[in-house]
Amino acid sequence: MACNSSGCESGCYDREKDNGSKISVEDVVAGGGNQESVCVKCKCNEPMTFGDGGSEDGKFCAECFRNNVFGKFRLAVTSHAMITPSDNVLVAFSGGSSSRVALQFVHELQIKALKNYEASRDRSLPVFGVGVAFVDETAAFPALSTEMVDAIEWIRSTVSSLSPPAKDVYVVPVESVFGSDSLEARDRLVKLLDSVPDDTGKEDLLLHLKMLSLQKVASENGYNRLVVGSCTSRIASHVLSATVKGRGYSLSADIQHVDARWKVPIVLPLRDCVRLEITRLCHLDGLKTVELACRSQCGINDLVSSFVALLQEENPSRECTIVRTAAKLTPFYFNKIPETDDSNVPMATQRRLKRFNLKYDGSMTTEAFCPICNGPLNRSDSSDLDTFEEGQEADVLYAACCSSCRFQILPEDGSSLEQFSSFLPDHMISQVKHQKVDSQAHLREKIKDCLLLDDEEVV
Amino acid sequence: MEAKSKKAGASRLCCLCNLRRPVLKRPKTLQQICRECFYEVFEEEIHQVIVQNRLFKSGERVAIGASGGKDSTVLAYVLSELNRRHNYGLDLFLLSIDEGITGYRDDSLETVKRNEVQYGLPLQIVSYKDLYGWTMDDIVKMIGLKNNCTFCGVFRRQALDRGAALLKVDKLVTGHNADDIAETVLLNILRGDIARLSRCTSITTGEDGPIPRCKPFKYTYEKEIIFYTYAYFKKLDYFSTECIYSPNAYRGFAREFIKDLERIRPRAILDIIKSGEDFRIATTTKMPEQGTCERCGYISSQKWCKACVLLEGLNRGLPKMGIGRPRGVNGDHKMETKKPGSVAKSIESKQCGSLDF
Amino acid sequence: MQLTLEFGGGLELLCDSVKIHKVNINFPNESDILTMKDLLSWVRTNLIKERPEMFMKGDTVRPGVLVLVNDCDWELSGQLDTTLEDKDVIVFISTLHGG
Repeated sequence: MACNSSGCESGCYDREKDNGSKISVEDVVAGGGNQESVCVKCKCNEPMTFGDGGSEDGKFCAECFRNNVFGKFRLAVTSHAMITPSDNVLVAFSGGSSSRVALQFVHELQIKALKNYEASRDRSLPVFGVGVAFVDETAAFPALSTEMVDAIEWIRSTVSSLSPPAKDVYVVPVESVFGSDSLEARDRLVKLLDSVPDDTGKEDLLLHLKMLSLQKVASENGYNRLVVGSCTSRIASHVLSATVKGRGYSLSADIQHVDARWKVPIVLPLRDCVRLEITRLCHLDGLKTVELACRSQCGINDLVSSFVALLQEENPSRECTIVRTAAKLTPFYFNKIPETDDSNVPMATQRRLKRFNLKYDGSMTTEAFCPICNGPLNRSDSSDLDTFEEGQEADVLYAACCSSCRFQILPEDGSSLEQFSSFLPDHMISQVKHQKVDSQAHLREKIKDCLLLDDEEVV
Repeated sequence: MEAKSKKAGASRLCCLCNLRRPVLKRPKTLQQICRECFYEVFEEEIHQVIVQNRLFKSGERVAIGASGGKDSTVLAYVLSELNRRHNYGLDLFLLSIDEGITGYRDDSLETVKRNEVQYGLPLQIVSYKDLYGWTMDDIVKMIGLKNNCTFCGVFRRQALDRGAALLKVDKLVTGHNADDIAETVLLNILRGDIARLSRCTSITTGEDGPIPRCKPFKYTYEKEIIFYTYAYFKKLDYFSTECIYSPNAYRGFAREFIKDLERIRPRAILDIIKSGEDFRIATTTKMPEQGTCERCGYISSQKWCKACVLLEGLNRGLPKMGIGRPRGVNGDHKMETKKPGSVAKSIESKQCGSLDF
Repeated sequence: MQLTLEFGGGLELLCDSVKIHKVNINFPNESDILTMKDLLSWVRTNLIKERPEMFMKGDTVRPGVLVLVNDCDWELSGQLDTTLEDKDVIVFISTLHGG
């Protein structure tokens, strides 16, 4: 079960086992002294006890623990060319522990790059730039407006207290994707969300709008990477909730280290760190966090999170196993940094990249995307697009969406759907039209397939 | 006041016939339908699944894996009905496995024997005792409660094939329902088993093995099977007790999660199956080469089949033999196959805690 | 009022393996109606002998337990708000046990 195969990316089980045997050796040498008193890695410092009931508590000293977590982050960054010297990265910062750690680590990486830059004689490698973005969701949660103001205040002071180089902070209202007139935009957002009958669908739509606003602020301010702090635990929940929502086809797109289907590629450097490590690190380094209670407590997403928490209790490496399973699914062509960037990647990084080459589905380099969630579409789902040849805009929208969005986001009856589509951000609608052309080509292929089927006599 | 809420429910009519009082809310469609329409759509949908997936050919001999549980009981009934109604031209048989578990399987076999009479289908029972010389009671006595499900699962898989061979059938059908398949998808994700994940949603498996297996209830909700059993037979003539040897907490979590999901969003069960079908799994995953066991002649990728390895261990008093991954023990032949679904070893999603195969 | 309660699918094991219970239940305090909600809490206190968590979760039946009131799915009659009448037959079937 669990993480007992060598494939586990965080190596939790292997490490535990190795260290376990090393402890006993130490004990024999030291004449059976207290095995709790020394870090199992460096074997000289006192181990940290977090008292959180998690696994590996009291095994590592603060430094070794920290190095281990940072090591996973750095390995993810370098092996997938997430950040290179010429880049300008925007860190999505929600105030929660994962994005706080992501910010901290990116900051540390930047400091190191700065030191190297100052030490090098020719100063040929520039230091990558870092910005921080926070999405203000007040429009969707008016009840939280005072907390949101405090959170924004706190975020600004947190970022400004980091040592130089200075980082710009962008506070972007989630309604910004609807246009520049903030009153009208806010009104459209509220109406759009209100027209979604399903609670989970509403939640997912808002999450997507959040991503769109991050994309907007990133591209408008010249950033070419968006760092999102999703940790293993978060991704494990996503794997299950996507499965439950019938999104099996697009799932592998969402869980890779790199997701370049967006204008500004998204990178997930904390993909291989579990939440327990993140919270321990925050505790250890005194990193403060702020959590806004935005999530509902009754939908599918919440049910999945509590299920994962339950499984994790039963087996501490379950989250790793879930993500490891999903990582075996074939990624999409866009799950890597586009190749045009290769000239900027230093040789050392390029060599590393080869080792971590993922298997891509080489046959297909184009994909159609759902205009609502931007998930790649399974061709078998989009087949009924043809019936709406002369249809209303709303019908075309329905046909262009993935089956999951059709069910949980689009309103059922025609007139509400019409209204819904009128509230959508304009660029989503323009994507629908693009989709339709694409689907007609698929239809032709499908017809060809049908003609080739033999008519065997069956019951 | 008192009759209000009841009447409110009763005053609406069946969505399908618009004549009668509805008795069931269908999880699949959320429609409220009456008893008569329910029987009709329930049976018709299974017929459609059979036709659309070309599960059978006229003249085939088909064994129904019968455990005495609700799923196989309903399957036996519906399949013999449909066979008559739509002239499938199938010869149907009941096939049961007697694992030798006192107080569990002996009782459930009584149910199957009643079904034999009720539906007029010939019944074949194959027992672990006859095939292997060991009952599950004996095995548990020897190895205890740990790993006993491994024995039971491996033995059952082979016993079904052997029983099917005795009956000279072309196909074996099992009563796995939509809830079971959704659960299997989740379990395979939870344990990282990508090979099983790729084939657990196939409606037919083992097409290159000795006997292909199929699951006509793949899209049928458990709730409807239970409702059908209850409404049709008026009493629950099926057997329902958990296997006394499988206290499987981890499996229970997944089951309960599915039921929690169904309450919020009944469609989720079919969505999980859809995800399972749509997962992008590389089609060139390494699959073991199929040969035959040198000892018993059963299909096997190794020198000895898994059942023979386990049996040898039992007979030599080394029950740990064969449990866990047989890395290099038996010689490692591997080859590339193109279809992920073309593997003889079909997944036994109900291998413990349940009566169906 | 007189009610017939039937437990199936393994739930009977929670109440001394008796499948059919003919019971007489009084109206809850200062009320002249009995709802499924009242019945469930009565069953929990008076009939369930072991592992009540196999039968109930929160104030309703555990997900996976099918409830029929006079052979009709209780989802059609308002679930917990269903009002019961004299001589009603209520069936609880667990789907959590194996098939």
